[in-house]
Amino acid sequence: MDMKRDYYEDIRLLDSGPQVFWMIALLAALAVFPFLVGSYHIYTVNLMAINVIVALGLNLLVGYTGQISLGHAGFFAIGAYSTLALMQHLGLPFVIALPVAGLISAGFGFLLGLPALRLEGPYLAIATLGFGLTITQILGRLDFLGGHMGLQSPKLFIFGGLIDSDAGRYAVIMPVCVALAWGMRNLAKTRVGRAFVAIRDSDIAAECIGVNLTYYKTLAFAVSAFYTGIGGGLMAFVLGFISPHTFNIMVSIMFLAMVVVGGLGSILGSVMGALLITWLQQELARIGELPYLGPVLTELSQQVFTLSGLPNVQYVVFGLIMVLIIIFEPLGLYGFWIRTKIYWRTWPF
Amino acid sequence: MKKFMVLALVIAALAVAGAAWAGPVQGVTDTEIRIGQWGPQTGPAALWGAVARGTGVYFDLLNAEGGINGRKIKYYLRDDGYNPNRTKAIAKELWEQEKIWGFACGVGTSPGMAVMPYIIKNNIPWVGMATGSPHWTQPPKKTIFGVYPLYPDEAQILTAYAIDTMKKKKIAFFYQNDDYGKGGLEGCLRELKKRGMKLAADVPVEVGETDLASHVMKLKKSGADAVIMWVYPKHAAIMLGTSAKLGYRPQWMACSTLSDVALMFKITKGLWKDTIFGNFAELPDSTNKLMLKYHRAQQKYAPKERWGVFFYAGFGFVEPMVEGIKRAGKDLSVDNFVKAMETLKDFQGIMGPITYSAERRQGIKQVFLAKCVPGIVMVKGKKVTYGKGKRLSGWLKID
Repeated sequence: MDMKRDYYEDIRLLDSGPQVFWMIALLAALAVFPFLVGSYHIYTVNLMAINVIVALGLNLLVGYTGQISLGHAGFFAIGAYSTLALMQHLGLPFVIALPVAGLISAGFGFLLGLPALRLEGPYLAIATLGFGLTITQILGRLDFLGGHMGLQSPKLFIFGGLIDSDAGRYAVIMPVCVALAWGMRNLAKTRVGRAFVAIRDSDIAAECIGVNLTYYKTLAFAVSAFYTGIGGGLMAFVLGFISPHTFNIMVSIMFLAMVVVGGLGSILGSVMGALLITWLQQELARIGELPYLGPVLTELSQQVFTLSGLPNVQYVVFGLIMVLIIIFEPLGLYGFWIRTKIYWRTWPF
Repeated sequence: MKKFMVLALVIAALAVAGAAWAGPVQGVTDTEIRIGQWGPQTGPAALWGAVARGTGVYFDLLNAEGGINGRKIKYYLRDDGYNPNRTKAIAKELWEQEKIWGFACGVGTSPGMAVMPYIIKNNIPWVGMATGSPHWTQPPKKTIFGVYPLYPDEAQILTAYAIDTMKKKKIAFFYQNDDYGKGGLEGCLRELKKRGMKLAADVPVEVGETDLASHVMKLKKSGADAVIMWVYPKHAAIMLGTSAKLGYRPQWMACSTLSDVALMFKITKGLWKDTIFGNFAELPDSTNKLMLKYHRAQQKYAPKERWGVFFYAGFGFVEPMVEGIKRAGKDLSVDNFVKAMETLKDFQGIMGPITYSAERRQGIKQVFLAKCVPGIVMVKGKKVTYGKGKRLSGWLKID
């Protein structure tokens, strides 16, 4: 099926004609999308795109390199705060501040990568968790970054043009998202990407065949943090206001959920996971308004759960969906996609 | 997933279809006003989510009485889990999809700050945010009306009371090291400066701290005979417990965020007794006519809720909004509503007197003080002690 006959076929970014076709169709759809729907849906898609960026970065770390992180909200915060600080205190334009913020975040990623060299599994999870919590505590005490009060985002100018609508922000975020996804695909296909995968599968074996563990593990952390930082920088403008509360532990956990539910070690999986979770977070809040089911659930939650009622059901349903996906499709949404593809390819046999 | 998206879109479209041709003012028809609120029902601040549920019961009560000017209120409550990006999504969803008319209350400073620019840009009425931050009303914004008394004002009132009425000589301040606590500290210092006095000690606490022994020692060493607290309930409880152990017994005074006296009495195991605290709304056992009426509504529509201050604050925060809608009459355009709101002068529901004008958007500037005294209630034939408030003053104001 996916037979590769030579090396160059393996490193090609798009494998087949149909894939090229669909890729172009997708890009075209993304280009016309903001003209077709209202501002609320554009806002949702902006959130999705940012989460896709973060999920790509986190998947590189968790899915490709086999390291875990429960502290990505920390990098997210660093990206957001750095972008705003660079713009407000140094007067840099957004197009420079954003990548620089990404690099600052990558720097912190590198630093966190150093202890990660000696830590594995649950220990690494705790270390990164501590990092995520520490960052928000520190940010809360830095008065020039607004402290607990938070920071209001400045007006967003791109090459002199003011951007203050959701469609405008979409025009900034979506290209960045597409470019970063493309970059990730590239990275995964190269020598570096294969080194990451080798580390995941067995770090000792990888070292034996000449993969420099120190270099590649810290690189994985740095690149992952870079992606997350860029996501954070964009988020600061989608929200218009950031404070340490914005980057709490739940944010880190949701990022991890996106990657696991979407599919570890897959770019399409990262995208699907980010889309699904962002969408669920938003739409489950309205579960009480579903016809028939809504009133039943409301009544149920008020009888069985605490007084706040429906939001409990929202979390139960959320958790249930996660659990079901993992039980029936351990590879996540990506695995589901592969199976569907194979089913149709061999249909009707 | 696409199917669901389409389905959701269709449902949303149908839901708003009727509203689209209703009239020139969004969210208002001849029979209905749509009002939304976000409030944390889950997550770190879920305890305060009671405010948003209280508002819902208040609207149920109003609707049962025939609504406002013949219009019933359709209320949308959304859980944001104290997460600003969800708050913003909620604000957009309610305004753009559900086509609401305005926002009521909303718990939390960060969530509110994330949506404020959006609300200003779209000229949406927003009344009674459940936080004492000065951001909302300083400088004034056309459609945003604050109710909650500001922290510095309240701290000034407490400080003045300690000095004038209780004859305390040395005041110390124990506060959470953020804008909430610093707001209180600012007011206390302002009042002391006016009298040419100095603070005996200012002791900050970080949100994450749990061991307060060194804080107590600092206060004890300062010799303060009154300590004003501007912290979360947890820290107040630890503070009183640790002080009792270390034999330090000053007069405790507390911010209105700690005014849920039954709760405080319970979590301090009775140490809350004799604490003097600020109040932005009537006490739970008040015989104020409105309070009795609201209490009956709670027993009817939400019998499982606890009749605590944060629940009925959900009534009080929207009282001025309801009054404004009443006074605006049939024409509920935003301009007309704002004009009507600006006619509120010493309007009083279950909270302090509320005044708005063209330059003033901060509704309440008064608090009253109360003291915690033990009360006895019979539960299943057994006597149980609980904390209740004893009113010490009328509505006090700092000029």
